[in-house]
Amino acid sequence: MSQKKSLNLATFLPKGMHAFFEEVGGTSRFAARFFREIWFPPYEFKEVIRQSFEIGYKSLPLVGITSFIIGLVLTLQSRPTLAEFGAESWLPAMVGVSILREIGPVITALICAGKVGSSIGAELGSMKVTEQIDAMEVSGTNPFKYIVVSRIVATTLMIPLLVIIGDAISLYGSYLAININDKVTMTLYFQQVFEKVEFSDVIPSVIKSFFFGFCIGLIGTYKGYNSKKGTEGVGQSANSSVVVSSLLIFILDLLAVQITGFFGYI
Amino acid sequence: MNSENASIIKPESESLKGSSGDYEIIKITDLRKAFGTNQVLRGFNLSLYKGENVVILGKSGSGKSILIKCVVGLIKYDSGSLKVYGKEIKDLSQSELDDLRVKIGFVFQSSALYDSMTVRKNLEFPLRRHNLHFTAKDIEDKVKNTLQDVGLLHAIDLMPSELSGGMRKRVGLARALVLNPDIVLYDEPTTGLDPMTSKEITNLMLKTQEKYNTSSIIISHDMDCAKRTSNRLAVLSEGICHAVGKYSELEKSKDEVVNSFFL
Repeated sequence: MSQKKSLNLATFLPKGMHAFFEEVGGTSRFAARFFREIWFPPYEFKEVIRQSFEIGYKSLPLVGITSFIIGLVLTLQSRPTLAEFGAESWLPAMVGVSILREIGPVITALICAGKVGSSIGAELGSMKVTEQIDAMEVSGTNPFKYIVVSRIVATTLMIPLLVIIGDAISLYGSYLAININDKVTMTLYFQQVFEKVEFSDVIPSVIKSFFFGFCIGLIGTYKGYNSKKGTEGVGQSANSSVVVSSLLIFILDLLAVQITGFFGYI
Repeated sequence: MNSENASIIKPESESLKGSSGDYEIIKITDLRKAFGTNQVLRGFNLSLYKGENVVILGKSGSGKSILIKCVVGLIKYDSGSLKVYGKEIKDLSQSELDDLRVKIGFVFQSSALYDSMTVRKNLEFPLRRHNLHFTAKDIEDKVKNTLQDVGLLHAIDLMPSELSGGMRKRVGLARALVLNPDIVLYDEPTTGLDPMTSKEITNLMLKTQEKYNTSSIIISHDMDCAKRTSNRLAVLSEGICHAVGKYSELEKSKDEVVNSFFL
């Protein structure tokens, strides 16, 4: 009887809203299953290492080049404005704080949402429609642990690493950009950057990048694992992995700013 | 026996027993499975006896693949009984189910080869994943011997993307046989293949069944394959076992549903 009532309630919701709540519910259940299964053996260490290589190492060139360009461009674009106020000497500190606090983690996470999220969504979607997940299950393997938990763990661990490496490369790009107009040694540049950068700038951004990584892995695996409609569904999984995880990265970033602000770190 | 399942040819309980004995290794009784409002299986009954091959015929979407996925516990049935070696599938714990799956090989319709692994790794996967404690040498030997049996030893280090459709089916069959199972479930093993390759796969199924001494449930639309591999045929229609009998018996049937497969 109560089930009938709740079904009636659901029919009052507009179709889009109904689908939205279904997705939120599905993703939450999927995340809950991840937290239930991660603690118990068998632990898929080999697969986690393989995925970390695929996700971390293979994303490094793209993250590196993008970060370098971001550091370079940000410095070149900021310089004229600071020069107007005669505050060019603040350039390394300003760029350093911007990159370490905000631009580095968000840009790296967005790049990974595009590269890693779509690849996870498409790979798992394809595995689902070609019955590879079923084949794994009849081969004595828990497919959720083998393909979902390992990927989420790998993205959660690798995205912060990529963020740290990307930040360093961005700062190097910024150092080169400053040297286009001025002569600054690397020691002096980094001294100026770290004079204004505190642990409270770095730690929250590293912490939030763990959440970005978790969100990319979770959404990619959820969309792929629940892929439907044959090959068309594979494309949809890849696409919606990128869209949803990118949106979630911004929402998480907003939350992170509010939380760090609440604790007085802004 | 469910009254719905009163077979036109012979009731299941009176049907032919396996050629090499009467030992029932799979017993399906009044099996029901629905997806939402779509009732796919409506009280299906069938038994598989040791050493025999049962081919299940049915229209697309009639629930044939659902049925064999229930047998290996990939899909949970709603009600009824499904016993493999006397064990009720839905009552088994995960580890008991894994132990039972060692005895059941599954040949998937799409071959389901792992795209990211070579043929060797595909065959090694079930050997390493089930807790059977094989040595590296055992694994190497088993993989090579099984590939030799399906005539694909030369493709051991190829990736699935480098294989033709027929080769993929052979590797799928090899992966199902690598654990030396007692039962093999084939989900449309010749679908999507040209007549020549279909014939080769059918020959291979017969050869490996003889060598590995397996009992099989074969889902197929290919009547040539059904004729050559079956000891019995079962017709799945409207969610029940509509008819069971030998190929030669069903071939002469006047029943419209049964007859439609032989036209």
